Amino acid sequence: MTPWGRPELYTAYKQDMALLNTRSKMLGVAAILVVAALMPLMVADDLLIILGNGLVLAIGALGLNLVTGYAGQVSLGHAFFVGVGAYTAAVMAGDPDGRYLGLGIDFMPAWLLGAGLVAAACGALVAPLATRLRGLYLAVVTLGLVFIGQYFFFEWNEMSGGSQVGREAAKPELLGIEFTVDNGFKGGWTEEQKLYWLFLAILVVAAVAARNIARSRIGRAFAAIRDRDVAAGVMGVNLTRYKVIAFTLSSFYAGVAGSLMFSAFGHFTPESFSLLMSVQFIAIVLIGGVATVSGTIMGAMLIALLPRLASELPAFLPFLSDSATEHPNIFEFEQVAYGVLIVAFLLFEPRGLFGVWHRVRTYWKSFPFSY
Amino acid sequence: MSTRTVVTRIRDRARSAPKGVAMREKRLGIWHEITWADYWDAVLDVGHALLALGVRPGDRVSVQSENRPEWLFLDIATVAVRAITVGLYPTNPTAETAYLLSHSGACLHLAEDQEQVDKALGVEDVPDLRRIVYVEPRGLAPYDDPRLMTWDRLLEMGREHRAANPGAVEALVDAAEPGDVMTLVYTSGTTGPPKGAMLTIGNAEFALETVLERSPFARPAPGPHDLTLSYLPLCHVAERVLTTWYNAGAGTQVNFAESIETVPQNLREVQPTLFFAVPRIWEKLLATARIKLDSATWAKRRYAAFWLRRADRLGARLAANGGRHTAGTRLAYAVGWVLFYRALRDRLGLRRVRHASSGAAPIAPEVLQFFMGIGVPMHELYGMTENTAIATANRPGRVRLGTVGEIHDGTEVRLDDTTGEILTRHPAVFAGYWQDPDATARTISEDGWLHTGDVGEWVDGTHLRITDRMKDIIITAGGKNVAPSEIENALKASPFVKEAVVIGDGRKFLTALIGIELDTVGAWAQQRRLAFTTYRDLAEKPEVRALVQGIVDEVNSRHNPVEQVKHFRMLPKELDHEDGELTATQKVKRSAIDAMFHDLVEDMYAGGREGAA
Repeated sequence: MTPWGRPELYTAYKQDMALLNTRSKMLGVAAILVVAALMPLMVADDLLIILGNGLVLAIGALGLNLVTGYAGQVSLGHAFFVGVGAYTAAVMAGDPDGRYLGLGIDFMPAWLLGAGLVAAACGALVAPLATRLRGLYLAVVTLGLVFIGQYFFFEWNEMSGGSQVGREAAKPELLGIEFTVDNGFKGGWTEEQKLYWLFLAILVVAAVAARNIARSRIGRAFAAIRDRDVAAGVMGVNLTRYKVIAFTLSSFYAGVAGSLMFSAFGHFTPESFSLLMSVQFIAIVLIGGVATVSGTIMGAMLIALLPRLASELPAFLPFLSDSATEHPNIFEFEQVAYGVLIVAFLLFEPRGLFGVWHRVRTYWKSFPFSY
Repeated sequence: MSTRTVVTRIRDRARSAPKGVAMREKRLGIWHEITWADYWDAVLDVGHALLALGVRPGDRVSVQSENRPEWLFLDIATVAVRAITVGLYPTNPTAETAYLLSHSGACLHLAEDQEQVDKALGVEDVPDLRRIVYVEPRGLAPYDDPRLMTWDRLLEMGREHRAANPGAVEALVDAAEPGDVMTLVYTSGTTGPPKGAMLTIGNAEFALETVLERSPFARPAPGPHDLTLSYLPLCHVAERVLTTWYNAGAGTQVNFAESIETVPQNLREVQPTLFFAVPRIWEKLLATARIKLDSATWAKRRYAAFWLRRADRLGARLAANGGRHTAGTRLAYAVGWVLFYRALRDRLGLRRVRHASSGAAPIAPEVLQFFMGIGVPMHELYGMTENTAIATANRPGRVRLGTVGEIHDGTEVRLDDTTGEILTRHPAVFAGYWQDPDATARTISEDGWLHTGDVGEWVDGTHLRITDRMKDIIITAGGKNVAPSEIENALKASPFVKEAVVIGDGRKFLTALIGIELDTVGAWAQQRRLAFTTYRDLAEKPEVRALVQGIVDEVNSRHNPVEQVKHFRMLPKELDHEDGELTATQKVKRSAIDAMFHDLVEDMYAGGREGAA
């Protein structure tokens, strides 16, 4: 037993390996969780939608961070896997007698897992490419996936509803709780509150799983491959195997995120799964912090809040307009901000938001010294 | 009723608190815990192994190893079978190892690893040495000396013997008598070969009763909730008392540092509650803190400077008040604790220290005052091998800087009327030097007074101040008596000075050889973009000379002209035990320095202009 108040005195490996190995980490995480869980009681519903969307983005971005951040395999095809997940869920939960393809499985865990698994299967199919290609070439090939995917989504009308039309998203419903039904006027929870809690719960599971993957044997193999695949191979890491695992896991996360992404809006079109969505995920990973779980979540929240932040700007910057017909307007600003954020983070803080946090933490942790 | 010994104390703890933590050892990043039951079990196994190997009461068993649990197991097992433990410094070179092994006539030797085994095997003409046990087998597979055996084999042998002769060790433990010699502690010997001081079971018991029961050195008295860090050589009497005997006597938890280099890191991990260090370590801790604070970012630097100025004032107020807080200092410190001192102490590994002490060599009061100011309760102690480290101590709340404190209850200390030499008399005065009755007779007078060889004086009739070692006192050509250690410590209080040797016996004026602290001066040079290659290159840079000149001038300004250092030279190398310039306890051997740097010294007295003050 460690004597009280000596956090660095490790008397067992278990203690050394623990996720929350210090008291301050434990308290910090607990505090964040409490605040996150109480958020729906404190925040207006319109902002809650945005936060909820951020949570779903975080789930998807965790997947991209596993393959790109941890395993170092650049993927521009994340939008494709998200799309596969969204359509799988929609098809599984869809009405068998409706206009579009539907299986009528409205048990949420089933379509959630189904979306993940089908996307994972697609990922596993694509993965062998990654074992032969590296860097820019892999990026180009995965870019191709997005276009192949869009072709299917546009053309397969029975499944997707077709271009500009789209279809209904899967409705989350569990143990008699209909998450997409608004009970606010009856004194119950509103749709936004319930969805937020659902997304939060799933994100917590996903994040803990990702963190555990990252510090397991698989995670160490990923890191070895990222740092130099040839060296990793020489050390006995089975490259094919771990690259396949990386893509499969990543696609699973993407699929799950896809199945939840349109729950709040209820409807989606194939146009959503464009290159822009892939870039958005890459931005989250780069801005949040490559190969970090907490950074990914921070990045996702920032990207999700960006439009809202931009819309608040005209109050402070009078030359910005909130009308799309005038220039410069907030929509243009939002686009530019994306780019500027990515460039600025890559140049000045390559470790992303996590790096900023890390800097702050080190400053106080090393106090009153500097190292 | 059998005699209470260090061994029976451990046995009793194993019975009353078998699951209590006795010690921790860090292996591969994890502090493995050893309980009192484990400890006692290991002692019995090793004790039986010693019996199986034919170790008889009065035989010598030697250990040459870094601090680790096996050191304690073998030490206690040796005492349990009424044999005598002899500790060797891991840094002893082969020649000294040879001298110690043959002089003590050890029959069993524990050599930690290949390095120590090589030393032991290199010793010829030791017919008594029958077994060499090693703990770290790495690199030793090809060795085929018949005397070699592994620690594991020793334990196995002990278990077999224990099964065949149950109770054999316990019987010897009960037969122990207060007059039994339990250990030979070889003094470091700044002059001449080391002498083996014989300490008896009675000595150890008296020492423990004095500092733990009669006049406890900390309040509340040390107990099982206290942690200590063991890192000084265990063959030195101070570390033996602190690690092995306090552990047995008070139940403190001993934590073994990985090595002397990792002490800062280990301190941070262990955060001991009782911490003893030699002045060298305190100076180093102070220097490290200063460098790290100086190299911090601007805001942190200014912030730290603010609080350190306050710490200076706090330290001075505390020192003036015997180390006790007044209402004012308590409030000032409480605010500082929240905002700064807590963090600083945490980073230094001294956050939970409730009793800190310095001993074994003189320390500059400035160093003590710095630590008192940041809230570490510092106490200077005085003792030596020959009186089992029992002479005087500064008590909590009655601290007087610049003195080594008050007499312990139940002991006698007086000054020789003519020479001023400090004499002590109490039951912990040693039994004599091993096989050296002449030296024994010179040291202990007929009526039991131990001649310490230190000159001292009383301050206010209660606190003892040590002037210097008797034989180190410099008598200049002008007939003035000068105590060099006071000047040397004043110089060494600077973080840039590691060694200072003041010379001047029979000369017209004082000179000094000064060795720089590579870390601090290196960092200082880096900040000034001063390129350097080796220690010597750095030491001989004109800028560094000027830096040292400033320190010397500052110290000179505080002394009267006779005690001022007129010239100095930089030592061209770091002093080292292996090269014979330092003793195993890092004390300077003046004779060796005189011989080795004779040219430098003569140059200063020949009127060399370089470095004139």
